[in-house]
Amino acid sequence: MPLNLLENATMAVKTLNANRLRSGLTMLGIVIGNASVIAMVAAGQATQGYVTRQFESLGTNVLFVTPGDAQRGPGAGSTRADTLTLADAEAIAAEVPAVSAVSPEKSQRLRVTRGTAGTQANVVGTTPDYVPVRQISIAQGRFLSPVDNQSSMPVAVLGSAVAQTLFGWQDPLNQSIRVSNLRFTVVGVVASRGSSFGQNQDEAIYIPIWVMANQLTGQEAGKTSTSVQTIAVSTRQEAQASAAQYQITNLLRLRHGLLYDDDDFTVQSQQDLLTTAASITDMLVLVLGFTASISLLVGGIGIMNIMLVSVTERTQEIGLRKAIGAKGADLMAQFTIEAVILAVTGGLIGAGFGVGGIGLMVLLSPLEAGVSWGAIALSFSVSGGIGLVFGILPARRAAQLDPIVALRS
Amino acid sequence: MALIEFDRVSKAYGSGELTVQALRPISLTIRAGEYCAIVGPSGSGKSTAMAILGCLDRPTSGTYRLDGNPVDTMGANALAEVRNRTLGFVFQQFHLLPQLTAMENVMLPMVYANLPKAKRRSRASRALEKVGLGNRIHNRPNQLSGGQQQRVAIARAIVNRPQLLLADEPTGALDSHTSQSIMAIFADLNREGMTVIMVTHDRQVAEQCDRIITFHDGQVIKDSRAPGSLTR
Repeated sequence: MPLNLLENATMAVKTLNANRLRSGLTMLGIVIGNASVIAMVAAGQATQGYVTRQFESLGTNVLFVTPGDAQRGPGAGSTRADTLTLADAEAIAAEVPAVSAVSPEKSQRLRVTRGTAGTQANVVGTTPDYVPVRQISIAQGRFLSPVDNQSSMPVAVLGSAVAQTLFGWQDPLNQSIRVSNLRFTVVGVVASRGSSFGQNQDEAIYIPIWVMANQLTGQEAGKTSTSVQTIAVSTRQEAQASAAQYQITNLLRLRHGLLYDDDDFTVQSQQDLLTTAASITDMLVLVLGFTASISLLVGGIGIMNIMLVSVTERTQEIGLRKAIGAKGADLMAQFTIEAVILAVTGGLIGAGFGVGGIGLMVLLSPLEAGVSWGAIALSFSVSGGIGLVFGILPARRAAQLDPIVALRS
Repeated sequence: MALIEFDRVSKAYGSGELTVQALRPISLTIRAGEYCAIVGPSGSGKSTAMAILGCLDRPTSGTYRLDGNPVDTMGANALAEVRNRTLGFVFQQFHLLPQLTAMENVMLPMVYANLPKAKRRSRASRALEKVGLGNRIHNRPNQLSGGQQQRVAIARAIVNRPQLLLADEPTGALDSHTSQSIMAIFADLNREGMTVIMVTHDRQVAEQCDRIITFHDGQVIKDSRAPGSLTR
């Protein structure tokens, strides 16, 4: 009958403790592997959470109409990516009952200056509906008014970062700024919103879309051909999003004279975007976890190597143990347990480092990473399993040593 | 009563033209309670004989009965039990485990015999007292002298109360004074009824035994009563 587990474990701890440097170095691979699995999975999940929150912050009752067919790539179905027009936006507002606000948007990165101060900003041409659709709030002054748009007033509303850069602590209201040599009067400042998808939303200015189309990008004259990049639409209720999506699709097909299979536009709901993003971030978590698992595997191979060396070095000990009555199974158990203890201890230490890494990530990045007990339990049991699997070969070698050869060596 | 019966036991290593006949067929009987020395030049087969005696190696042909049991046909696990309960080993290089204390080294055979912990402790201290090491039981091997280490090794060999004690050059690594005290322990154990067989190069050591078996070229060439046995 082989020895009981506890007895073997105490013996193994004694042996490993007698050779601390080697035990430590052997564990290192598993430590790193485990730490990276825990930290990477946490990073992946945090990214997933971050992306989801970004989408949700846009409002779940919002639809985006963009030119080109997303299923076939931008511009597909038509040779140009300017198939959406302001007239489309107006038609949606007038004819789709589920829609509460429509914000056509046309934007470009341009240089914004005031005297010698200047900065690159995302210049967005839009309408008053931008406020309810994009859920922004005004910190100072007002947003664009219907009159501004109808009479192409050269007025601008600044993002908070742009206001800060151009005016510092001065009051920007009623001051003038220049965008590509055009003079604008500041009528308002938008409250700070932080960044979304890598773009700082505070580094933007908002001007009437007509001014944008006719004077800044300077391409169009007639109303029907004024193209827009996005038409953001909000519905009265969240539950109406899919109805609105359907109605907008039908309306635009009618207006563009299209059959069902050659759309030159895409209507995406927040839910569609969320689903797409979730499938991407799921893959991200998987890839990160898989990459980290490779280091865990390498750690396991490290344990096997050192245990094989250990068996060779301890031939005499093995011979002696056999001479005083150890059976093959006893030695098998002894060496396997040593490997498992190494792996599990390494796993524990690695989990500690992993949690530390997560703490650092929370401190240094906007990601809200959490310690996933599932990931810890998983990598813990995986490292135990690795010890078991990679311990077996060296242990078998020990068990099969011929005692007489072992003693004479 | 015969404790050991070798019936035309032989041992060959290798095969074909490279075969080395380490032991020619030899027949030998050793009775319970004997105190034997095995002597001979290196390569004479005495170590091979010792390995077979100790159930560490199997004969190529012939039968070996230990206490009436044919050990040459036993399985590996059964042999492990024989080594654990019936045999005790003492080696030239002591072979103590460096990470264990003297006490723990002595307890090791009882661990493999699955004895309860309390029993191990009491038996191990008795064995250590018997070899005169009652006070250094918590030292590790590297904190002990050669003689002390060999005493620990003897305590380990006798702790499971074996019938047969096998010693391979037990005084080979010790100075003559220490050798004498180790030999005294063997003599004591033998007087209490334990069968002792030792392989040695040292004539003086051999002559303290009762019987000297001389090996040469894989054969027993002389089997005699030692002069020391007459005076005892």
